[in-house]
Amino acid sequence: MRKVYQVCVSVLLVCFAIVAANAQSFRVQCPLTTLMHPTPPSPASPNPVGGSIKCQQISGGDGYATMADGTQTYLFAFGPLSGLNDIAKGLPGTQPAAVFMTPYDPLAAAGSAASNGAVGLVPDPEANGAYTGHVDTREVMDVGVMNGNMPAPMMAIDEDDEFFLTLSNVGMIMRPDLFEQHTVHFHGYPNASSFYDGVPDASVAINIGGSFTYYYLAPDAGTYFWHCHITPPEHLQMGMVGQLYVRPRQNRVTSGSLYAGLVAQQSDPRTSCPNSGPGTTGITTDILCSTPLPPSNSVTRTTNKSGNPTLYAYNDGDGSTAYDVEYPIQIHGFDPNFHFVGMTFNPEGFADMKDKYFLLNGRSYPDTLNSIGYQDSTLGPGNSDFVGQPRGSSAFYTQDADGVQRPSQPLPTLINIPAGGRALLRISDLDVSEFQTLASLGIPMQVIAINARLLRDQAGNNLYYNTNSITLGGGESIDVILDATNTTLYPAGSVFYLYTPNLDHLSNDAENFGGLMTEVHIN
Amino acid sequence: MSAMTTKKAISMTRLLPLVMVVVTLLFATAAYAAAPGITGLTFSLTAQAAYITQPDGNMVYSWGYGCTSTYTPTFNPPGTKMPGANCPTMQVPGPTLIVTEGQSITVTLTNNLPAAAGNTSILFPGFQVTATNGVAGLLTGPTGDAPTNGTVTYTFTAGSPGTRAYYSGTQSDLQVEMGLYGAIIVLPDPAKAPTCANANLAAEQANSEVDYRLTANGAAFDHAASCYDREYLFQFSEMDPVIHTQAEQQVAAIAHCVPSTVRPCPTSLDVHTEPYHPAYFMINGRSMPDDMDTNYAAQYPHQPYNGNPHMHPGELVLLRIIGQGRWQHPFHEHGNHVRILAHDGNLILSATDPSKLAGPLLFTTTTTPGVAMDGIFYWTGKGLNWDIYGHNPNSSDPLAKLPCTPDANGYNTGSPGALNYYEWCPDHNKALEKAPFGDVAGNGPVTLPDSNILTNGAWFGGSAYLGPNATGRAVGPTGTTPPSGTIANPPGSEAGLAFMWHSHNEREITTNNIFPGGMMMMMLVDSREFQINESF
Repeated sequence: MRKVYQVCVSVLLVCFAIVAANAQSFRVQCPLTTLMHPTPPSPASPNPVGGSIKCQQISGGDGYATMADGTQTYLFAFGPLSGLNDIAKGLPGTQPAAVFMTPYDPLAAAGSAASNGAVGLVPDPEANGAYTGHVDTREVMDVGVMNGNMPAPMMAIDEDDEFFLTLSNVGMIMRPDLFEQHTVHFHGYPNASSFYDGVPDASVAINIGGSFTYYYLAPDAGTYFWHCHITPPEHLQMGMVGQLYVRPRQNRVTSGSLYAGLVAQQSDPRTSCPNSGPGTTGITTDILCSTPLPPSNSVTRTTNKSGNPTLYAYNDGDGSTAYDVEYPIQIHGFDPNFHFVGMTFNPEGFADMKDKYFLLNGRSYPDTLNSIGYQDSTLGPGNSDFVGQPRGSSAFYTQDADGVQRPSQPLPTLINIPAGGRALLRISDLDVSEFQTLASLGIPMQVIAINARLLRDQAGNNLYYNTNSITLGGGESIDVILDATNTTLYPAGSVFYLYTPNLDHLSNDAENFGGLMTEVHIN
Repeated sequence: MSAMTTKKAISMTRLLPLVMVVVTLLFATAAYAAAPGITGLTFSLTAQAAYITQPDGNMVYSWGYGCTSTYTPTFNPPGTKMPGANCPTMQVPGPTLIVTEGQSITVTLTNNLPAAAGNTSILFPGFQVTATNGVAGLLTGPTGDAPTNGTVTYTFTAGSPGTRAYYSGTQSDLQVEMGLYGAIIVLPDPAKAPTCANANLAAEQANSEVDYRLTANGAAFDHAASCYDREYLFQFSEMDPVIHTQAEQQVAAIAHCVPSTVRPCPTSLDVHTEPYHPAYFMINGRSMPDDMDTNYAAQYPHQPYNGNPHMHPGELVLLRIIGQGRWQHPFHEHGNHVRILAHDGNLILSATDPSKLAGPLLFTTTTTPGVAMDGIFYWTGKGLNWDIYGHNPNSSDPLAKLPCTPDANGYNTGSPGALNYYEWCPDHNKALEKAPFGDVAGNGPVTLPDSNILTNGAWFGGSAYLGPNATGRAVGPTGTTPPSGTIANPPGSEAGLAFMWHSHNEREITTNNIFPGGMMMMMLVDSREFQINESF
């Protein structure tokens, strides 16, 4: 493998030498203030009422993932170019603007702004050394080449946030024959703009060596997801899929009932939901509104099992989507033949695509349980002491082009529920060839939302239902709550399983007892 | 464009429809959908064999329903609105039957399939059907199948409004695969249907657009929440070409078989429908890009229906979606969610308040064989936080300074003739770009990169903004796209926002291993500068 890198690095270097200095146009965009958010939030309160500015940078390129049977699988993949420390911890890489605009320092203390800042950010010589988004290309390439993650870097924003997402296309070092563009499709965004929708046919696609900053005001709360939209059967199968969710305004209610909080949202036409729909003149019911007012109630915000203010999945107005812990889970399938062909300069066939690896957050059982994590080290420079180095584990990292090992599959899917608590599972499916079923042995799944929309009729009745299995096709998402509040049924120490009843999906290629499965631990 | 005089700008706007017609005729880029079909109380259908065409060049032997040669159907929309409307003796999907709630319907089916295919029939799930004159069938009762060269008559009452599937109930694993399926649309009884506000109809009329809705009053059901402005029908199916080849060869072998004493001729087909490896994934019998050609296009004589939706901001678009074939397909609508109104014609209403809807909101409307869904989609750009029309209050171009007067819901609906009818006013004049070089508002949040590091798509309108005026002001009259006229959404005339609607089992957006293809189309959201003409 190492030798392949060296060959490819030289190939790439030759390419760059030919096209010389104007071949790249990397830069990041993340203003500290905008017209909508003129005052930066205080670092102590990064999610103020009214939202704030959030930023993230990703690379579009390639990488490798380790399958549960030990196979190294080649990816077309996105990797993190900001929020590296949070990503390594399995958290979303999205950062407040002030953190993002702190230059990334691999040796900075874990959790510090510099450990999560934008890779490559340097003072702009044309702006008296201010940080304008000017980047040092070498740093972007050093970290970005071969740092693909499976799934792609996770993103999370809050309602009313402005989100600046910069995609830097660093090229695919293993496939120097390809000149693939990449894009980001924000899957499920309501009233999307086609310019920022990421469909190359309907907009622009980003060439190798270029950066493009996507801009969105956060849409209504919900579990969305994102992926590249270039040749989707190829780029999605190859791994360019990631998670994205939007947290509700209800998380910022500090006083009064949740119902009153939802009523207050109706005063602004943008956040009003029952009204402001197209149809007729005069106040009309928005046919696409998912959070009409529930029956009047006086439920207030309490604290969760961790003693912090309770968080909610949606602006429910009745507290019914409260949870103690949340787990974003993305389902995916890999066809090893397709990935091999994709690595070896051959044209791929689509009709006979057949997935043999079935993944939760980029890993198959039993790797889904491996929550060893990655070491956040400040020990000094060098190959073995770098931020992101796996802690005592040999798997789930890839050696990047600069020789540093970084996480390739940072997300375990071991679900830990505090005894008597409720877990929100944000489940999305980006399999490209078949439907997948996920079942819960034991704790029922309460389905509260489908496709990022609360299950509620227009009269305000919750239409939640309990089930022990859900089925998703590619491009669908479902929010379920595992409700373990009954400590008699679900006492501390018990273990339950999430697995697929598509029994042929409980395998890792030729290896039995694997695939789409993980455990739920009551702690 | 910013230097353009008022008079010139306005005349340009008026000329756009004409320009578009010319562009369309030259490049066949604009071909709109509606939900065309045949209407009446009695239908005379036939089941026959023919070849359908796929964009890889293959002609695929298929069976389909069509109109008998002696039957003159009535078309809706009529031929005056949609020139070329026809009903061949075989088509895939079969003719869309458009009937009205409460009517007694008679469908006569003649079996003109090759003798080797045996009997055939039609199932109308969701209706109480009486079948007469036929022979016994497994699913159709003692007289419900049409024997070779024979007929069967089905009568039923169109009980309730909505979209439903019809398909063969005889040896369905083979006959449905071969193409024997279609749609039946029941329109509301005008006496029971609600009165729709039809606000967008006034805007359409102000822009000389024709109303292509099948209904007279604009409601899909006997319910006020089902009012809509445009409608489209999409039927999803897939084909395994190996099955079709087997059928074709066996039909020919049986027809030309010379019996001998040692080897008698087979009399029926022995086509293996498993294992199933579909290679074609179709919407309305066509694969992308053929689905974006016109309805009744001459090059697809047996696939008359297309999938090429267009809309203006704020219009409520009724989607009639049917799963045919045998697989599920996660049909993903870019741009916004879809409110599901009904399944198989059964309206989904709140248990406590039947004046309210209770169907889910979906960005992926998974199609399931035999299941029909009605849903409503719209797009307004609400909440983008920038002016999608690129208005610039400091411009010298009057079209860049159009007013936006919010109604109670925040939309600009005061003047149906306004080019920015249904603009979301809270974002009016809000800039996207920090320092634009064109005639759009500045001091916005982002800097657009050098277009040399970007690759433009065929449906890219040329700018981030909606409509030719905004695109012209932002980046010049040809946009940043390739030379005008070679693309599907020209900056100078349409410059719509294109949203891909496709199967998200992404391998199904291929045609026999070729990308792009399959179950994919573009929904174009067009500014009012562009006249949407569904007759193409």
